[in-house]
Amino acid sequence: MSSLRETKFQRILNTLEKNSVPLLFGVIVIFGIPLSGYSLNYLGQEIVVRIARNSFLIIALLVPIMAGMGLNFGMTLGAMAGQIGLIFIADWKIIGIPGMVLAMIISTPLSILLGWLCGKILNMAKGREMVTSYIIGFFINGVYQLIVLYGMGSVIPIKNSSLVLPRGYGIRNTVNLIKIRKVFDNLIVIKLFGISFPIATFLLIAALCLFIIWFRKTKLGQDMRAVGQDMEVARAAGIKVEHTRILSVIISTVLAGYGMIVYLQNIGTLNTYNSHMQIGMFSIAALLVGGATVNKANIGNVFLGVTLFHLMFIVSPTAGKNLIGEAQLGEYFRVFVSYGVITLALVLYEIRKRRDADRSGRLLAQNQMDQREILE
Amino acid sequence: MRCPLISKTTLLKIGLIILIIVIGIWMFLIGKMHTVLLDNKTIEVEGISYVQLPIVEVQIDNKEKIELAARDRDLVEVTAQRHKITVYYTDKLFNEHKIVKKFKIPLGYDMVLISIPALIGETDVSDWLSEYIPPTAVVAPQAETETVDELGIDFSF
Amino acid sequence: MNKVKEFIKSFGWPRIIISLFLLSLFIIAPFVGVSISTSLSDTIVRFGMNGVMVLAMVPMIQSGCGLNFGLPLGIIAGLLGGTMAIEFNFLGQSSFLMAIVFATPFALLLGYGYGKLLNKVKGSEMMIATYVGFSSVAFMCIMWLLLPYSHPTMVWGYAGKGLRTTISVEGFYLHTLSNFLKINIGDSFLFPTGMILFFILLSLLMWAFFHTKRGTAMTAVGSNAVFAKASGIDVDKTRTLSVMMSTWLGAVGILVYQQSFGFIQLYMGPFYMALPAVSAILIGGAAVNKASIVNVIVGTFLFQGILTMTPSVMNSMIHTDMSEVIRIVVSNGMILYALTRKSEATQ
Repeated sequence: MSSLRETKFQRILNTLEKNSVPLLFGVIVIFGIPLSGYSLNYLGQEIVVRIARNSFLIIALLVPIMAGMGLNFGMTLGAMAGQIGLIFIADWKIIGIPGMVLAMIISTPLSILLGWLCGKILNMAKGREMVTSYIIGFFINGVYQLIVLYGMGSVIPIKNSSLVLPRGYGIRNTVNLIKIRKVFDNLIVIKLFGISFPIATFLLIAALCLFIIWFRKTKLGQDMRAVGQDMEVARAAGIKVEHTRILSVIISTVLAGYGMIVYLQNIGTLNTYNSHMQIGMFSIAALLVGGATVNKANIGNVFLGVTLFHLMFIVSPTAGKNLIGEAQLGEYFRVFVSYGVITLALVLYEIRKRRDADRSGRLLAQNQMDQREILE
Repeated sequence: MRCPLISKTTLLKIGLIILIIVIGIWMFLIGKMHTVLLDNKTIEVEGISYVQLPIVEVQIDNKEKIELAARDRDLVEVTAQRHKITVYYTDKLFNEHKIVKKFKIPLGYDMVLISIPALIGETDVSDWLSEYIPPTAVVAPQAETETVDELGIDFSF
Repeated sequence: MNKVKEFIKSFGWPRIIISLFLLSLFIIAPFVGVSISTSLSDTIVRFGMNGVMVLAMVPMIQSGCGLNFGLPLGIIAGLLGGTMAIEFNFLGQSSFLMAIVFATPFALLLGYGYGKLLNKVKGSEMMIATYVGFSSVAFMCIMWLLLPYSHPTMVWGYAGKGLRTTISVEGFYLHTLSNFLKINIGDSFLFPTGMILFFILLSLLMWAFFHTKRGTAMTAVGSNAVFAKASGIDVDKTRTLSVMMSTWLGAVGILVYQQSFGFIQLYMGPFYMALPAVSAILIGGAAVNKASIVNVIVGTFLFQGILTMTPSVMNSMIHTDMSEVIRIVVSNGMILYALTRKSEATQ
């Protein structure tokens, strides 16, 4: 028996370690739920709502991961495009489903432009995609503010004065989206076990999942996966690497734009200058909690992640209050956990990446020794 | 199909873009919200005075019936441009009347005013339906409701 | 003509644009009623306030650990030092000194752990640094509520438990550095000699360090880690040292900042504080793996100059305060520019 072979124990440890983030979160949640005192029914309803609200955005993150671009912090660009679409339909007073669809249509060319820009910049910073996309998000936020806080109402005509700040130009901090609030969610509703399920939204998300699954099998999808595996090998195989990478970012940005509209449609109010910045962090944290890594993510991660992350999010303040007597503590706890999980996932990914190279080398060596044994 | 100047895919892409623009315009039309003000006030049209009724019932499309007393004004929000208005009233001889009229709100008008007395008085559509521009004081600034920021981080960079 | 072209290429268009922008602001200023002496004075004060934190970027850049987005870790050490100095009632000049004394062990300890972590993730330091910074700020939020502080100026009045969000350092180390040997010219010009001298002192120490054997080893590690290792330098140890230095400077830096600003900002205060320092050094000509003291001085001056001049001049000109948006675009744009270059630095 060679010492190189992996023991069963080692293999179990390896699996545990691979899924450490979701497991850790599972533990937090299991402790947190009874501490918070919320009923399972209440939590169930909340989770259903949040899955319907957030999944679209998180699924948008899958495409760049496939293409090896890592976590797309630039999804905030798509969110901004979606928001600009919503500002326009709120101004033009287009309501209901037509309003939502029109907002999506308006956001698309904007998302494509921003996605293309982002992709081009990321191609100039190969190897540092994640930090760069993170900073791009901040940078474009500045441009967004230029447009929305200064351009709208002055250079860009806004008819509806209730959207505009008292000084005469610039959109207010909150835009009331009550006319499209939950239009999609409430389209088809099924009530089960006392929980209402927004079926239309779920169908939309299911359609998106099918799209992703189909996309993976298309030539473009295969190209992206090849680029994600190894850029140089893909290039040698004749794939237009830079072009493919930019496309992956564009698709992600466009989907993020739609996802933001779905998200805001549920909330009903647009926090003009804040929502888009936080949504990126949320979605990425949720995806990581679901067990995704920087270079591998699937649809299962998305749904597991939303559930666990948002459960933690909901129970923390009350659990903190019941445990230590301070709700504020619970709130800071969930902020810490949100950032902590990204840190942990990133660190684990890096360490594992280096260790996996080590491990596969070992397994290869073990294999070779086995072969030699058989021959002897 | 051979198209030497434009390839099939480019044609398809252009077709798709045109389709999306058409859908966009369609959404705009069917989704545009208009506010209809129903007025039960004495109004003068070309010298003739149409008197307000003591009480009248109005219904836009198939929505809830609205009761207007004399000098009353009410508000209905509708989507898209073509609508029908039904007016129920009783005249001085205690006869009940029901008038049904179809009207079209011009796309550019955000708010319109329908004068019920003028409508009953069989005037032209252009007389009983007019654009309404609210005086700026009426548009009350919304209270800046502070939505709960999910993570409580004051984004300042 | 060629020389000019060479200069532009190495200096980089963004920097030229920023310098010209700042210059034009200074020229326009008197025409719109903004006093140059006040502006200059303000810029110098802000230069002193932020200088040390920008200096903190140098060790890690030189050793190849990238831009220190995890500066908040050092800032936290500084916050601990400052709050402890107040807790133990050190007043006046001694307060500042004791704050540094208290902060140092925390800074070195945190820096050590942080450095070891970064060594395990070589190549992706910047992303990890960002999130380590964020997580630690969030973690400290919990700690500020729980730690057993009791000084009345720091603790919430009614509950008596948990620190306030903003703590005034008046009576403690407010302006202790700035006022040391300060020079007043007329009404509007104040030169905070003490603070500037302190910055010069630290810069000289840094410069001296990089001319020692350890320092040159650090630069070697940043330029070419493989070559450095072949030359017998312990790459990991050097990197950890650079992180510890950076963290300690971050701690001292926030204390210098606070003594001028007048307040200790806890909880989410330090959250985004790394970004201005990162932008500043990049504006000054540094690259992701090469930085010099000149970069620090030039960069901090340009950056703080823009931050000071834009609101006052623009406000007087077009009656709109676009300074926030300009700040966002300039600082992040600068970072983007640096991230998309192939590793090279300019003077």
